[in-house]
Amino acid sequence: MKNYFATLNLPESLSLETEAVDLAWRSATLEAHPDAADAEAGTEHSADLNLARASLSDPVQRLEHWLDLRTSEASSDRSIQPELMDLFTEIHSKLEAADSVISRLQQSSTALAKALLTKEAIAAQLGVQNMMRQIQLLKGQITDQFPEYEIQGDLDDFVEAYRNLGQLKFLKKWEQQCQTRLLSLLEC
Amino acid sequence: MNEELIIGIDLGTTNSLVGVVDSGFPIILADSEGDRLIPSAVSYRPDGSILTGREAMRFRQIDPERTITSVKRFIGRPFSQLGPEELSASDYPLSSTPGDRIKIPLDEDSSKTPVEVSAEILSQLRQVAAAALETEVSRAVITVPAYFSNSQREATKKAAEAAGLTVERILNEPTAAALAYGLDKLEENQTVAVYDLGGGTFDLSVLQMREGLFEVISTAGDTQLGGDDIDRAVAGHLQRRLEISNLTREESATILTRAREVKEALSDRDTHTVRLPFFREDRSFEIELTRADLESVMAPIIERTHSICRRAFAEAENKGAYTLDHLILVGGSTRIPLVRERISAWFEIEPDLSQHPDEAVALGAAIQAGILCGRVRGVVLVDVTPLSLGIETFGGLMNVIIPRNSTIPAKAGELFTNAVANQESIAIRVLQGEREMSRDNWLLGEIEIPFRPGAKGSARVGVQFAIDQNGILEVLTRNTETGEDHVLEIRDTAVDVEDAKVERMVSESIDHAFDDMNERIWTEARFKSEELLPAVDSALELVGDRLSIDDLESIRTSASDVKRILESGLKDAPDLKAANLKLDEATQTLAALLVEAAFEQES
Repeated sequence: MKNYFATLNLPESLSLETEAVDLAWRSATLEAHPDAADAEAGTEHSADLNLARASLSDPVQRLEHWLDLRTSEASSDRSIQPELMDLFTEIHSKLEAADSVISRLQQSSTALAKALLTKEAIAAQLGVQNMMRQIQLLKGQITDQFPEYEIQGDLDDFVEAYRNLGQLKFLKKWEQQCQTRLLSLLEC
Repeated sequence: MNEELIIGIDLGTTNSLVGVVDSGFPIILADSEGDRLIPSAVSYRPDGSILTGREAMRFRQIDPERTITSVKRFIGRPFSQLGPEELSASDYPLSSTPGDRIKIPLDEDSSKTPVEVSAEILSQLRQVAAAALETEVSRAVITVPAYFSNSQREATKKAAEAAGLTVERILNEPTAAALAYGLDKLEENQTVAVYDLGGGTFDLSVLQMREGLFEVISTAGDTQLGGDDIDRAVAGHLQRRLEISNLTREESATILTRAREVKEALSDRDTHTVRLPFFREDRSFEIELTRADLESVMAPIIERTHSICRRAFAEAENKGAYTLDHLILVGGSTRIPLVRERISAWFEIEPDLSQHPDEAVALGAAIQAGILCGRVRGVVLVDVTPLSLGIETFGGLMNVIIPRNSTIPAKAGELFTNAVANQESIAIRVLQGEREMSRDNWLLGEIEIPFRPGAKGSARVGVQFAIDQNGILEVLTRNTETGEDHVLEIRDTAVDVEDAKVERMVSESIDHAFDDMNERIWTEARFKSEELLPAVDSALELVGDRLSIDDLESIRTSASDVKRILESGLKDAPDLKAANLKLDEATQTLAALLVEAAFEQES
């Protein structure tokens, strides 16, 4: 397995700032991009740099990669923890409401018919945005614990990290679903 | 022949240009008559000769069926993707090959493909460059709309190869424009957006420029939205106002030319008179249009660019680019005053007009060509892929492998295993697009992944999907034992279908289409009426009191016209369509009032 931290010459830290990742990527790209004069490395290396940045900029992928580098067997917990269950139900209903407006907006072929749906569209948008805020809050709470995993560093303690990785993956998936709806609402 | 030299080509919908870097500066090359803007037109004369550029344009009105313009709209697309509107709006006839590709029939026994037509245009550009530089050229950077799919990029590359050019890079148009803008600002750190509204396509890209690195953050677009659509909308408006229907192809071509003149004239002046002398059986037509007329026709088209911009900005924000330093306008259609006004209003930013709307993209292509052949140093460009790449999974869903706006070159691996013992191979459909269902996305083709014989689940093949700097996909399998890569062919699935069968399918559907064309247009129009009439009632109830007497009157009249035609039992499809359009136009203010009211309640 490739070590993305090494690819970008970064310390193997879970609390990397996006800016630090970007900076490392930029200097490596300016040197190694196939278009840059005197660059020896090919497209393959550039693609690796891009992959490394994409993985390390996202806290969820960063945690997963960090754990992958340390353990071989364990995999993330695939069940939704009880504290996320209520949120999940709420997100689900907000997404359904948004989908319903979006599909009616897409079917409308005239400005007038679309305009009649504006009120409902705004309500759907606010609902989804509210969910996004809650998701981001919860994500923040988990990523704040990242430094603890690094200190512990003992295999047994990764259990907690893996459990939270599973939750983070759910949150990320829901966040993406919310984003898709918001973009569709913008487009209608 | 100058082996080292690379030229930059902007292959546009309406016009094309060719440029090169000379002593460190990008320049546009002119043809023998001193013109730099070369019409993207090809006319196939009955005597077998092929005219291009300005010479071809002379035949646009006299022989529209053999004079191909705006072919970029069709390159690399399957025929089945064209809607009835698009088919009827074309100046020249279009039909399908057995493999669902578009062809342009010239007469009984000959036809041309969009790739062949584009190759003629590229070949002319190559000759212009060779004459201006006094040396043969064989290598080029060619620009395409950022939102072009893999298939459209591949087709463009094929056209260039047919014109004797090696494609050193397929470059995105807005990115090229950003290069032209930023070449003399390499020391500055900026976040810029390029709003590129051309003849047939629209793109918006957000870029960060830092110390010579031009990095695209996000891009969004519509490859079927541009000045052509405005021309067509204006032509439709002219037809309705002049009450001319059932146009021949020649008559349509004439009205379209007048529409284009209206658009250009009203960009500078407030009124313009359209004259059609002896247009039909010695009848002449004349009508005066105001800028307000033009703007009400254009507004919905320009509005479509707004949501695309918002999408690109939203994705840029997700990646941490929150503020814009400049919004750069390029593309011929950004000359339209309404476009500039709307942009300032939407984004509260004064658009940057420093770039030549027609030349910026070609200059950028020349700069990228200069980077690749070592004539420009200290600049590196990094772009993104505009569309998500995925494969079809169980239930016809699309499973994203490389998400849109990923930095290219990009790669991602997938592991495939055999589902039954001794399965020889598995066929995977490769897709591009943002929709959940795979059938709503572009089908790029199918790959066949071979398995070694063995028990269920024992054969494991790693497949790598890679998008190169051109935005073109390559699929590889790696043999884990030898480390050897093997390129998998992406098979065009449509071509696999038995030719004769498809030929019959196509001809059947065309026959069918003519039979019930009226019925189809009537049904479509009826749906629209049924959507509009109740909407008018509800809307009037909600905000009718805010309307002026004139607006109210014109809505009432238009609505009762629609009702009358709907109930007459005559099934006059064109009539109903026209009445719908009138009601649609009459209710624009009402629609705006509704939106306003909804936002008022919210705040």
